[in-house]
Amino acid sequence: MAEARRLHVVLTPAPNAELEAARAVEELAEGLGFLRDTLDEVKLAVVEACLNALEYSGGRVDVELTAHSDAPPRIEIEVTDRGPGFDPAAVPPPRLENKLHASRKRGWGLELMRRLMDRVEIASRPGRTQVRMVRSR
Amino acid sequence: MSKVDIFELRLAHQDGTLAVLEVTGYINNEAGEAISQRARQLLSDGHRALLFDLQGTRIINSIGISLLLEVLEAVLAVEGTLAFCTLSASIAKTFQIMGLAQYSRIFPDRSSALAELSPKR
Repeated sequence: MAEARRLHVVLTPAPNAELEAARAVEELAEGLGFLRDTLDEVKLAVVEACLNALEYSGGRVDVELTAHSDAPPRIEIEVTDRGPGFDPAAVPPPRLENKLHASRKRGWGLELMRRLMDRVEIASRPGRTQVRMVRSR
Repeated sequence: MSKVDIFELRLAHQDGTLAVLEVTGYINNEAGEAISQRARQLLSDGHRALLFDLQGTRIINSIGISLLLEVLEAVLAVEGTLAFCTLSASIAKTFQIMGLAQYSRIFPDRSSALAELSPKR
């Protein structure tokens, strides 16, 4: 079994901090044979997870990235924050028709993560939220 | 921030009521605000078709996307046309997921967009 490669990135609230995690995806994926467009999707999902974590926790966010080269080659990402937590089941899927002419047009992050990655699991309680995402090549 | 992530917005072409904007770099909240402001200005100047060429953009985050929805609202309010060209596959997929593709016109490249959107003479 091939050894997994790991990267750990710590983010703190700062403009474009989420891009550090996106760059780590690129670095880690090197040699796994991901298409550039697939990597862009993974990067966007990671950016969204980090934006949510940074916004709602207001503090440190840990991003653990693992590249598995054994079949199927895949990237696994865990984004962990220490915010108040939320109930993912209570977040309705956004609809463009409802967002148009509404004052709040945001709320796309979770839907994008779910649609861009193969698997998204969210474990959340007050003080700790972890989003775990996997995407195969 | 690496060079490819740096946001730039440029009015690349105007033809009658059509305006073409080139967008480069990461579209986040600030970039989305800049795009929204520029679009509103162009609409108030009388433009009715806005074409965004996203060749130089690889990531639009969801806050940037929500600001594009403001642009869409403003365009719909004047019964205009919102169009995009040269989208990366992931941005095209993102627009599809959101349903934005239903409300805007999407072209593979700028020349096909201009052929369709330029005022007929």
